[in-house]
Amino acid sequence: MSTPTLQPQVSADVTRVDVPASPPPKRRRKRRNPLPYWLIAPALVVMLLIHVLPAAGGVVLSFKKFNLFTFRELFGAPWNGLENYRSILLDSDNPLHSGFWGAVQNTAVYTFWTVTGTLVGGLAIALLLNRKMRGQRVARTLMLVPWIIPSYVVAVLWAFMWQSDVGIINKVLVDYTHLLGHRPVWLLGPNTMWAIIIPSIWRGLPLAILIFLAGLQAQPQEVHEAASIDGAGPWRRFRYITLPLIRPLIGVQLLFGVIYAAYQYAIPTVMFGTNPGPDADLMMTFIVRQSFSNSLYGLGAAASTMLMLAMLLWVAVWYRVFRRDLEVT
Amino acid sequence: MRSKLAIAFGLIAVVLALTVAACGGSSSDNKASSQPAANATAPKKGTTITFWIMPNGPQPQQDMEKTVAAFTQKTGVNVKVEVVGWDVQLDRIKNAAVSGQGPDVTQAGTTQVPFFAALGGFENLDNRVSEIGGKNAYAPGVWQTTQLQGQKGTYAVPWFTEARAIYYRKDVLKKAGIDPATAFKDTQSFQQTLQTIKDKVPTINGKPISPFGMPGKKAFDLVHHVMPFVWDNGGAELNSDASQSTINSPEAEQGVDFVANLVKQGLFDKSMLERDGTQVENQFKGGRLAVWIGGPWVLSTISRTDDKNWVPAARANVGVAAMPTGPVGKAYTFVGGSNLMMYKSSQHKNEAWALMKYLSGDEVQKQYADVLSFFPARLAPQEQVGQSDDNHKAFYAAIQQGRTYAPIAQWGPIENAYKGRFGNILDSAAGQGKQPFSEAEVKSQLNAAAKEADALLAQGS
Repeated sequence: MSTPTLQPQVSADVTRVDVPASPPPKRRRKRRNPLPYWLIAPALVVMLLIHVLPAAGGVVLSFKKFNLFTFRELFGAPWNGLENYRSILLDSDNPLHSGFWGAVQNTAVYTFWTVTGTLVGGLAIALLLNRKMRGQRVARTLMLVPWIIPSYVVAVLWAFMWQSDVGIINKVLVDYTHLLGHRPVWLLGPNTMWAIIIPSIWRGLPLAILIFLAGLQAQPQEVHEAASIDGAGPWRRFRYITLPLIRPLIGVQLLFGVIYAAYQYAIPTVMFGTNPGPDADLMMTFIVRQSFSNSLYGLGAAASTMLMLAMLLWVAVWYRVFRRDLEVT
Repeated sequence: MRSKLAIAFGLIAVVLALTVAACGGSSSDNKASSQPAANATAPKKGTTITFWIMPNGPQPQQDMEKTVAAFTQKTGVNVKVEVVGWDVQLDRIKNAAVSGQGPDVTQAGTTQVPFFAALGGFENLDNRVSEIGGKNAYAPGVWQTTQLQGQKGTYAVPWFTEARAIYYRKDVLKKAGIDPATAFKDTQSFQQTLQTIKDKVPTINGKPISPFGMPGKKAFDLVHHVMPFVWDNGGAELNSDASQSTINSPEAEQGVDFVANLVKQGLFDKSMLERDGTQVENQFKGGRLAVWIGGPWVLSTISRTDDKNWVPAARANVGVAAMPTGPVGKAYTFVGGSNLMMYKSSQHKNEAWALMKYLSGDEVQKQYADVLSFFPARLAPQEQVGQSDDNHKAFYAAIQQGRTYAPIAQWGPIENAYKGRFGNILDSAAGQGKQPFSEAEVKSQLNAAAKEADALLAQGS
């Protein structure tokens, strides 16, 4: 049996449920029960008030000359058209132009490595924990610890650990193991990006492990056994059985992981303050700094709107790629 | 159904009418508040006013309640003290000023006063400040923090003051054979002192010690530490009418270069750039730094046995010196602290002013400043505190040479811009910048800072 043909059969067998043929729908018009609408109404109202209206307000303000001198006027601030967008996107004379593009680039790098690290690391650890071994339960519990630690605490702890002179990381790398001959500086310069990526992965891993582990344990062992009998080795079983079956789980985590990483604020801010410097300034630190520390509310709203649009685009792309997985699950 | 709709529309109309009425109310408050205070009357007994303070000292709420208890006893005016965290105070004070829903009196950082005043939600106290002695009762640098450049008026009264001075280890200087009286006299001797410490005292009591350290861009007050060296060289943050940045002038560049070169020459422990202000303060207390720039609040911790950050050798050997004199012949330092501001929306302005007046009394100022380990803002009690010992004398001298930033609304954002660029320069001097350290890099960063500041200044035009 050639392995590629195995995949559709297996996934179809596992996920498809035969539903008995239902009788043809009756033409008689049923009276709609209004209760479900009343039940979702409070949630809908809260969503509108807390999410939709402020977001719409933010979009409106992004077209205004809304700054310290017009702060009292709020929505009555002078109309500024697309100037806020043009100035940070295209105007190289605007002092914030390069900072904005720097933040975009940093956010892309941060998101790529954080999401990749979390998913790959989470899957690898989940595969290890899925094997039968002594102390399995203890290991699983310990793996979940970073998840219950708030981001603020994570950032404070790692900021101490990264200190070049007395931090535990350099002590391990340089003093104890002699892996490095010099003490790297993590909290200044280019390494600052790694100083925020690694704690972010560390904090995100438990959830990824939990989700992957649940997915792995739901897989029928018979399929793996059948593939083994047919001569499929561990890599082939992983490539053609495990991976296709957990694809929906990868998809969901990818969706939320990218959005969460793109909106990351707590870790860089706690670690570096409101201005993490050119190497670790993310979109959210840039937006919050310009909006609230520098009172450039309109400009901050424009950057915020662009980030929101980028996330909408990401959701659309994601939906096209993973639509079939949603239907199957 | 129609009747239900009619009721709904009716309710909406009532809510809108109330909202409009509320807005109208606030504008009439504004009109009333702009009238001169000539009609000021005695505070009414039984009135309650709200007073926002920030977390000053170890027990801010209790300390302030204790301070205002005598005021309540004397006037019959109750004071509701609310502590607002430093992390949220800017937004809360600003929002209260705009919405008209806030306290009667608030504490505000000295460099924040022009920003808040520009929002238009605070009383002009011009007609009242004569009752507390006016500008003559305060050092010029302190009084300047109550103004908004380009606008006539006094929007705050100074409350308590701080300045930056040099902390040093007496035992280290003794071991290095340096006379403390001349060690920090001018910028040249300052640098020479650090070089001598580096050469002669790499360790003390068997533990390594660095000559000098200062926090980097993580510290909220990085600009306060760098600007004295800019001023010493004849530079300034802005031109005289505060219409343009001058941070890229040759004089300012010399000042910034001086600090950056301390890093480059290995006199400045570059690992301190990874830390915030408190952490670097603790490094001095912990005996890892021989020289450090700090505020007066550290003095009171020397005798506090519950402050475990001090190592015995450091605790026993603290000396304080005023900032060094620069090439222009003056020893500038940053002078800051906190002021008191009265909201226009206050319904109890006479009572609010009575509280501000009480807190501006010489004795009350001295008592509260003692609790906080700051200095009173007023000259008379300031001098009394300044004469208490040698270390306080050094701070008192520093305050008299103190300087602050131009009192403009945009100063906060401009300070942020400068902080970011100064941080980049120091990182680069430590070998961690995007670009290698060079004169051209310093110039380029300062040009970028000036460009950013000019764009922020242009907002007001």
